[in-house]
This record gives sequence, C-alpha cells and structure tokens, in this order.
Amino acid sequence: MERSSGYIITFAAVVCLVCGVFVSGAAVSLKDRQDQNAVLDKQKKVLIVGGLIDPNSETSPEEIERLFKTNITAKIIDLKTGQIYDKISSDGFEQEKYTKDPTTSIEAPARNAAGAKRLPKHALIYERQKNGKLDRLILPVNGKGLWGPLYGYFALASDTNTVKGIIFYKHQETPGLGGEIENPNWMSLWPGKKAFAMTKDGGLGKPKIEVNKGPSKDGDEYGIDGLSGATITSRGVTGMLQFWLGDNGFGPYLAQVRKGQ
Amino acid sequence: MKFLRKVLDKQAPLFDKGGPLEAFYPFYEANDTLLFTPGEVTKGDVHVRDALDLKRMMITVVIALLPCVAMAVYNTGYQANYWISQGATPLHNWQEAIYASVFAYDPTSIGANIFHGFLYFFPVFLMTFLIGGHVEVAFALARKHEINEGFLVTGFLFPLTLPPTIPLWQVAMGITFGVIIGKEVFGGTGMNVLNVALTARAFLFFAYPADISGDAPWIAADLSTAADGASGATWLAQAASVGQAGSDVFATHTMGGEQWMQSFLGFIPGSMGETSTLACLFGAFVLIATQIGSWRTMFGVVVGTTIMSLALNGIGSETNGMFNMPYYWHFVVGSFAFGTVFMATDPVTSAFTDKGKLVYGLFIGIMIVLVRVVNPAYPEGVMLAILFMNMFAPFIDHFYIQANIKRRLARHGA
Amino acid sequence: MASKQKEALIDPLFNDNPISLQVLGICSALAVTTKLETSVVMSAAVIAVLTLSNLAISLMRNLIPASIRIIVQLTVIASLVIITDQVLKAFMYEISKQLSVFVGLIITNCIIMGRAEAYAMQNGPGMSIIDGLGNGLGYSIVLLFVGFFRELFGSGKIYGVTVLGDWYQPNGLMVLAPGAFFLIGIFIWMNRVWKPDQIEAE
Repeated sequence: MERSSGYIITFAAVVCLVCGVFVSGAAVSLKDRQDQNAVLDKQKKVLIVGGLIDPNSETSPEEIERLFKTNITAKIIDLKTGQIYDKISSDGFEQEKYTKDPTTSIEAPARNAAGAKRLPKHALIYERQKNGKLDRLILPVNGKGLWGPLYGYFALASDTNTVKGIIFYKHQETPGLGGEIENPNWMSLWPGKKAFAMTKDGGLGKPKIEVNKGPSKDGDEYGIDGLSGATITSRGVTGMLQFWLGDNGFGPYLAQVRKGQ
Repeated sequence: MKFLRKVLDKQAPLFDKGGPLEAFYPFYEANDTLLFTPGEVTKGDVHVRDALDLKRMMITVVIALLPCVAMAVYNTGYQANYWISQGATPLHNWQEAIYASVFAYDPTSIGANIFHGFLYFFPVFLMTFLIGGHVEVAFALARKHEINEGFLVTGFLFPLTLPPTIPLWQVAMGITFGVIIGKEVFGGTGMNVLNVALTARAFLFFAYPADISGDAPWIAADLSTAADGASGATWLAQAASVGQAGSDVFATHTMGGEQWMQSFLGFIPGSMGETSTLACLFGAFVLIATQIGSWRTMFGVVVGTTIMSLALNGIGSETNGMFNMPYYWHFVVGSFAFGTVFMATDPVTSAFTDKGKLVYGLFIGIMIVLVRVVNPAYPEGVMLAILFMNMFAPFIDHFYIQANIKRRLARHGA
Repeated sequence: MASKQKEALIDPLFNDNPISLQVLGICSALAVTTKLETSVVMSAAVIAVLTLSNLAISLMRNLIPASIRIIVQLTVIASLVIITDQVLKAFMYEISKQLSVFVGLIITNCIIMGRAEAYAMQNGPGMSIIDGLGNGLGYSIVLLFVGFFRELFGSGKIYGVTVLGDWYQPNGLMVLAPGAFFLIGIFIWMNRVWKPDQIEAE
C-alpha cells in the first residue's frame, strides 16, 4: 500500500513523540531513585572498608544512610599541600570525572607505579569518627591491573600507618585469578598490616606495604599473600598503594594528619 | 602366535553380526588388529599399496616420543631431588611416602631421580589412558564405529605437557574434555579441528590455572623453605616477570653458554616432557626420516619464530625486557621444541597442502613470539598459538587449493 | 488453549529455539550468564521487551508505512529497552551494575527485531504477545541452563547459595566467556540428539 509523504512524516513524528514521552517520563520519574542508589552503593563500600558493616550481610538503605551520616565525614583535600580544601563541596563530587578534566587535574609523573595518566588537584577522602575522635582515614585509590584500571578504597588507622582494610569497587581482572581481589578471605589479610617503613629516628618513612609473590612469610608486617596465578594484578595493587601513599599521592595529607595529632 | 590367532578366531563369531556380543565388536576388533595385521583390505576402486596404516603411524610417533618420556621421568625426579637437597621440603603425598622409604633425596643418583620422577609421571600417564581410553571406547560402542589408535598418541602427548604436581582428578577431567569436545563431537579420530592433547591441556589451563601455571606446580617440592630468591617458576615465566619490570635476562646469556645448554638439555623446571630440546630433536629426526611429521611445518615454525623475535629485537622496548629475548633462547625454553615437533605437525589438525604447511608453521612461530613477548598475562604461547592456527589450517589449504585449480585451469584452458 | 496458540508458545522452546537453532542473541548469552541471578534478570528483561514490542508493533502493523517500518520497529524497541534499563537501575541497582551495558544491548538482540519483522507485522496482538512470550522463554531456557551450570561449576553456588562445599575447586573456564560457548554447544548437541530433524543435511 503506497502512503503519502505527509502521512509517513506525520506517522514518524507521532511515534517519536509517544516514545519520547515514555522514555523521558521513565528517566525523570526514576532519576532520584537511581541517583540515590549510586550514592548508597558508594556509601556502602566506604562503610565496609570503614569497618561499620559486614560485607556478607544485607543492610537496608536507611541503615546505610544513618551509619554514614553519624560516622563518616567527607572532606575535600588539596593533594599537593595536604590541607583541607573547602571551596568545593563534597556533595556530588565525582572523583573520576575530576581526575579526567584537564582543568582540575595535572599530568601524572611519567611511568608512575599506579599507571595513572592524570592526577586530580583535589581528592575526596572520608574520615570515620568514633566517640568524637578520628578512628580511620578512607582514601580513594586507583591503579593498573592486568586488563584495566583498578578502583578502590584504602583505610588507614588514625596513626596513618596501621592498615584497616581495602576494597575494590571497579576492576576488569580475570575472575578466579586477579578477580580474587574481591575475595573476602584475601581482603581480611589486610587489617593490622603496616603501611610505612620505619626510619631510624622512629618516624614513618617510605611506603613499604606490598602484595607478595606467593604466600608471605610469618610475622611479615608489610606483606600480603600474593594472589596465585595473578602476578600482574598483585603487582598492580602494590604499585597503586606505593604511589598513593607516596609524595605524589596522599603523602602530604598524611603528614598533615600526623602533625595535627 | 598361532595359538593367539586361534584364540581370537574362536571368539570372532561372538562379536559378528547377530552374535551375542555384537555391540562389543569394536572392542574385539581393536584388540585383534593391535596384535595382527588387519585381514581386511580396501575394497574401493582406488587404493594405494602401502604398509603404513594408522597403527604403524601412531607407533612411529610413540617411538619418536620415547626420549621425551625418558626425560620426563628423569628430570621430574632430578628437579625435586635437587631442590630438596637445596633446602626445599618434600611434598606431603603418597609419592613421597614411598620414595622416602626407598631412596634419599640425592640429585646425583640417577636411579633415585628416575624412581622419584616415575612416581609422579606414571600415575598421570596411567590416569590418562584409563580415563581417555574408556571415554574413547564408550563413544565407539555408542556410535558403533571401530576403536582406532588415535588415542594412543594423544595419551602419550597429554601427560608430557602437564606439570608433575597436577592433581590426578584434573588429568581425568582434562582428557575427558579433550576427547569429547576436542574430538568426538566432530566425529572422532581424523575429524577433529583442534589438537586433542592441546585441547585437553587448554581446558585445564583455563579451568584450574593455579595448578598449571605460576610458580608452584613445576617442581615436586615445596620451595618456601629453600633459600631466599628460589623460584619454582619456569625460566620463561621468570624472564617474563623480570621483563615486565624493564630488564631482560636472556640477552646476556649467549647461545651454547652454560645456562643455554642446561635449557637445551632440559634440566629446568617445566611441563614434564617438554623441557628437553635435545629429546625433541631426536623425535624430529624420527618423524622427518619416516615422513610422518612434516619438515615443512617444523621449518615454518622455526622461521616464523626467528623472524618475529629478530623484528621485536629491532623494535626494542624500554618497559618490556622480553622484546630483547634472542631467537636462540626462544628455541630452548618453554614448550617450543615439543610443540613444534609433536603438536604442530599433527597431520589431522595442521594444514594439508605442502605450501600451506609452511605458511601454517610460519604463523605459529610468529604467534608464539607475540604471546611470549607482548601479552602480559601468559608467559608461554606455544599451546595458544598452535590451537589458534589449528582453526585457520583449513582456510590456508582452501587458499592453496583454489590457487592450484586456477593455475591448472589457466594452463589447460577452461 | 487452541493448538495454534500453544504452538506459538511452545515451539520456540526446543523445536525452533532462537539461540540454539537460529543462533541469535549469543552475545548476551555469553556475557551475563556467569551467575544464575543475572541470567534470571536478563531473561525477564528480554521477555518483557520482546512481548511488549511484539504487542506494540502488532497494534500498529496496519498503520506503519512500509518504507519506514524498520526504523519504527527500532524506535519502539529502543524505547522499551531504555525504560527497562531505567527501571532496573532504579529498583535492582546491584544487578543492573553487573548487567552493565548488556541491558542496553538488548536493542541489538536480533531475536527482538526478528520477531517484530517476521511475526508481529503479520499477526494480531493476541498471537503476537504469545509469540513474544514463547520466544522470550526459548531465549530464557538457554540462558538459565548456561547460567545454572556456569555458577554451579564456576563458583560452586546456585543462586548465590554455596552448594558445593570447600572441597570443590571452582572451574575457572566456566567463568570465562568460552565456558558459555561450550555449554551452549552442549545444549545444541542435546537438543539435536533429542530432535534429530534439526541436524542440517550435509
């Protein structure tokens, strides 16, 4: 059946209009819920590494929100000076976007251990308070895995040396090999380890924590058992921490925290 | 002999059409032809008179493999004894319980090394034939075709490609997968697209990587108590991990030097039967002399590896030391020699045309070097390269056959 | 139920399965089936999109100008997929994160365009719904089969619950995409042993 051009154009317009209404209707009406989900997801990861919820149990959204509000403080810091930077609000601060934008980031040192191309000028970190005192610092970290970048949070005690935990929220490692960085058994090896080498005068020196090749020796304060069959992922995690705990990463900030105590 | 023939002939009616054990005819036939020359002759119009049948061919390959088997047994024992004498701890398993009651951990005693290696190699070998053979027979019975000898070579090749500490249940799973998915689904021996032994190994490689890659499985001893810096990884894996950090190990050791010779002779950790280039060269000699293995395929692989490694040497890389690995090292580490001589030349899965074989080999060589040098995840690329090119073998043949048809058409006029 | 309806519903399950016989929609069958849970959600999403798109196209079938029918079908399907994606993001965030782009890629799933063009354009809304449902279920059967065995052998679990204990060493191949290929292959093999008429003549 031949149709007139007018009919075809009208028909197409109507279809587009109807579909458009449905799609935008769904997008608009569900947006709040989706944003909330994304925020909750991130908060949950922070709470897990902050030691406030058990990763294996289900926690209701209300509970996550309440725990986060009462225990966690978000702060933006200036990476270079290590000072708190309050000109940007931590609400809606997107670290990944901020790292990519050339106006808010600088070029990373060549061939750095984290494999980063650009570094943000500012970073969003979290502090967990306990009984009114600083209990642990939760730092966003990213590094280079075998197949792609690793994104995670790394938690340190208020002495800035004792490790409290690590969690990865985004990676592309091989399931069963490098993907084991998500394994709760492996994650449970971290708390209690030390991050920095001791200097002669008893201060904290260079970052020393590392993921070993194979199992770590008894009493090794700095070594985590390597992931079997995933040398490159293990090395990537080591490089990531060495970089972010070092002078180009959170080094200046951690120095400020130490000074403040 | 006559007696044996008589016994077999007496049983024959039982398995013939209509006999009570008709369903088991393939089983009878297999045993009969293993012992005697088949009584049947080709009935079609065209046939070639030749003493060579599938069985002779397979037996020749097995003979070519014997030095590798011997090295598998000896080196497995030698590596374990050597490292234990250097402070490593024996594993806790039945093999060590038997061994400790007979011999001391002495790497200079040939008998001790052979016995130690035998305790690891033989169970793997036995398991392969036990399970693989039964799977083969089960399919032969279900599909009512005769059991043929294709499995004999597969059964020899597969254990030789495994590390000494491979769990036996994995051997069983691997060979089952190899025979069913690698061969039987395509219609049995001669119909398979992929090399069966490599299919079985690839299954284990991806399914249980911790037991067939990394540092642990290559030496039958626990190295954690040995001196600091002792690593059980294969030389290739060690080089790859150093190489990722930007330096290179191999370029400083020349051809014919002490390390190179050690690797050439095969006294290094690795898959049981794959360490010795010398043993594989013997196999190559037998296969080429009897014209069962194609020299063209082997030559192609060697040339491809040489060209690609020289090219990468030329390109160079500051971040990846593997780029500097010289071609003569590529030949003696990993499973290069074993794969080239015994896997790439598999007549069923390689290219069929003469020129095609050269091209097929050439690409395998190129791929081996590419995986070894450029891919950060896998230190060794021989298995992956051969399986990959298996897929393209029919395509390469198609190209040459079409070219030939065209040329003849042009010559004789259409 | 009349036999015609029954046939439209049952036929795509084993006789004319979209994945195992027509070999459509393989991409998502590899990508989302490492766990049963994601397979279930993906199946539900495809059934929903397929049924609704069949209904919508069937209702409009006499109005759609032939010259722009493909683009109209695509517009309808794309809208449905976006809505499905939005709903999943809002109500099943964890799973939608695991499904990542593959919900969006339902748009490119040939099963849906195929049914719209081959069936809904010629049949009434009632039959089209049944056809959509049947083909969606055919897709789901393969997805659930693959998802079930990949999760069971790949991580020793069924629907997130550990069923194979500590003695079980997970099979890494099952978690990788080729594992799904082998399982789909085995499904096709079993399907053809059961229904030999599906074997192509040589």
